[in-house]
Amino acid sequence: MTIIQVENIRKSFAKNKAVDGVSFDVEKGRIFGLLGPNGAGKTTTIRMINNILGPDEGSITINGQIASPRTQKMIGYMPEERGLYKKMKVEEQLLYLTQLKGMKPKAAKEAIHYWLDRFDASDWTKKEVGELSKGMSQKIQFIATIAHDPDIYIFDEPFSGLDPINSDMLKDIIIELKNNGKTILFSTHRMEQVEQMCDDICLFNKGKAVLQGKLREVKASFGKNTINLEFDGDGSFLDKLEGVRLNNRSTNYAEIRVLNGQNMQDILKLAMEHAEIHKFERIEPSLNEIFISTVGEDNLKAQQLEEAQ
Amino acid sequence: MDFSKILLVLKREYLTRAKSKSFILSTILTPLVLIGFGAFMIWIMTSESETEKSVGVYDNTGVLVENLIALDSVRYSNVSDLPLDTVKAMVLREDLDAYLLLEEQHIETNDNAELIYSGSGGLAFSSSVRSDIREVIQEERLSRANVSEEVKELFARRPGLDSRKLTAEGEAEDDKAGFMSGVGFVLGLLIFIGLFGYGAVLMRSVIEEKTNRIVEVITSSLKPIELLIGKVAGVCLLGFTQFTVWAIMYIGISMAAVPVAGLLMQDQISQMADTQEIEQAAAEAGFDPASLEVLSIDPMIFVYFFLFFVLGFFMYAALFAAVGSAVDSEQDTQQFMPILMVPLMGAYILNTRIMVDPDSTLAVVASIFPLTSPINMITRIATTDVPFWEIGLSLLTLFLSFFGVMWVSAKIYRVGILMYGKKASFGDFAKWIRQS
Repeated sequence: MTIIQVENIRKSFAKNKAVDGVSFDVEKGRIFGLLGPNGAGKTTTIRMINNILGPDEGSITINGQIASPRTQKMIGYMPEERGLYKKMKVEEQLLYLTQLKGMKPKAAKEAIHYWLDRFDASDWTKKEVGELSKGMSQKIQFIATIAHDPDIYIFDEPFSGLDPINSDMLKDIIIELKNNGKTILFSTHRMEQVEQMCDDICLFNKGKAVLQGKLREVKASFGKNTINLEFDGDGSFLDKLEGVRLNNRSTNYAEIRVLNGQNMQDILKLAMEHAEIHKFERIEPSLNEIFISTVGEDNLKAQQLEEAQ
Repeated sequence: MDFSKILLVLKREYLTRAKSKSFILSTILTPLVLIGFGAFMIWIMTSESETEKSVGVYDNTGVLVENLIALDSVRYSNVSDLPLDTVKAMVLREDLDAYLLLEEQHIETNDNAELIYSGSGGLAFSSSVRSDIREVIQEERLSRANVSEEVKELFARRPGLDSRKLTAEGEAEDDKAGFMSGVGFVLGLLIFIGLFGYGAVLMRSVIEEKTNRIVEVITSSLKPIELLIGKVAGVCLLGFTQFTVWAIMYIGISMAAVPVAGLLMQDQISQMADTQEIEQAAAEAGFDPASLEVLSIDPMIFVYFFLFFVLGFFMYAALFAAVGSAVDSEQDTQQFMPILMVPLMGAYILNTRIMVDPDSTLAVVASIFPLTSPINMITRIATTDVPFWEIGLSLLTLFLSFFGVMWVSAKIYRVGILMYGKKASFGDFAKWIRQS
């Protein structure tokens, strides 16, 4: 059953087409990943699903209803830019935010205490958020997102800025929510998390959805065009290879994407001449590889530069 | 529009601020500071404004000096017997602060007498010597003209002016014009301070939500316009709380202070009473201690105060919020502040004119023009009888512009709050208004 239906939406800011004719469906009870480089239109799309912005064209339906203040209540949203009132006490703040989502004060209080207990955070209720450590306020942010028990959860770059403990915790929560039949949509540019968690993906580039479908099918469609090579010895022979792209290279490991259909046996021969081969395996490309070949290397490099700054 | 959400926003905005230490402190301290300041001003005005100065009188007429000494024996001394150079030397040595050169011609013609001083003279000093000189010379002229005692008596008397106002009931009542224009000015000033002070509070609150990044979480739960209205109403209510507390404090303090102040004033008045000049000055300012009792204020004025404050605040607050939404920090607001400063400061400056001349064309226009009317109309209402149609028109234009400003501001606001890291320009404002 489709729970979020995005149909041919467009949104421009001045002359910049942020989202340019995007359509996708999110199925109930699944984890949906929005991928793409910075500025591809992920956040704008997410804001439109949350009814923070309205699309210039096209339509968004949540649970069969056009996005509206009513559909906002069905969604728990954690923006990329996390934010809480620093001068407000934890409990007051969570009560305020959950009541804005339409909860009654009593139910809100119960839900808040349930989650505070689960995160070992019950002692903080009377503390101001500004006094909490970064990890602690991240937990409060999760609670603010999920306490009103919506059907849909939207996280924009949920793992950016999280410490490893909270990162694992969020992963567990997402899996738990899924097991309870909830729907999760999150955006990220970290491929390993998508590979571990997502059922479906949609890849954005320059305001358009360039690739989408079930993660498994998407990967299969690229065929087994990648070599997983483990070896012992001098790895410099890898530099002599032509018509390949090396991903994940280290002293005794390389993931080799074979381009323009050259014979993989030739690569194996070359490798055997220079090093002792422990493993040679033909595999489906990693999502990272798919990402690169779809979006283009140049585009990605520009993004990495941006992040390094 | 979801009113339960607006109410939630209002409650948060109001409670978190009303409970904050800075609000409680400013509520209590502001009147104390004002009272302290007022007391300081009264102390300055009533304390001896000049240190006693000594003036040597070098009198070539032989008649004026005695009268001057009779008038103020501390200040004036007779140095007519000394050589003029010695007198000058004494002034330079500061044995004397000044000397006064009096000639026969000063009595006979209209030539001015001369006061020569070293060091600092001071306006108050020379003007008080001037009035002393006038008095003795006039007296001498009268006695030389050989006029009768009756004529002298006539000259000694100064005609005064009592003003009374004719009201619709046809009865002349005690005129309170002086007092009421003071009240009008203070009410205008309060609205000015309220619009500015609470407008700035709201602006900071909008910037805070933006820099905290909480605003995106909030707007995923309600419409920006609901957030805006809730915040404006919350801060407005905060303003009322503060005004109410101050009003209660004022009433309490004045109930305790009036008897004390009355005693002090009686003292002051009786001290002044011997000096004709000061008595007259007091009369000119419309001050009469007995009038304190008749100083009651028409309650309708407070109703109008309420109306103009609320409407004016909502209009200006929407502008302040729009500015706050367009920037990332308070420093960045400077380029937009003139939009808010010019009309507000303008209205305040106009008020000093309107207070004394409330029926001029300028006053009428300023009290109907919506950007200045909240401040200027309340001053006029207190100061003069404003025709009802003018008040009605003023309220109507204010109400309509409030909607206009809110509509435009809300558009800027809803785009601005989600714009991070960009410094907006006026051009951007126009774009945002068209875009949403």
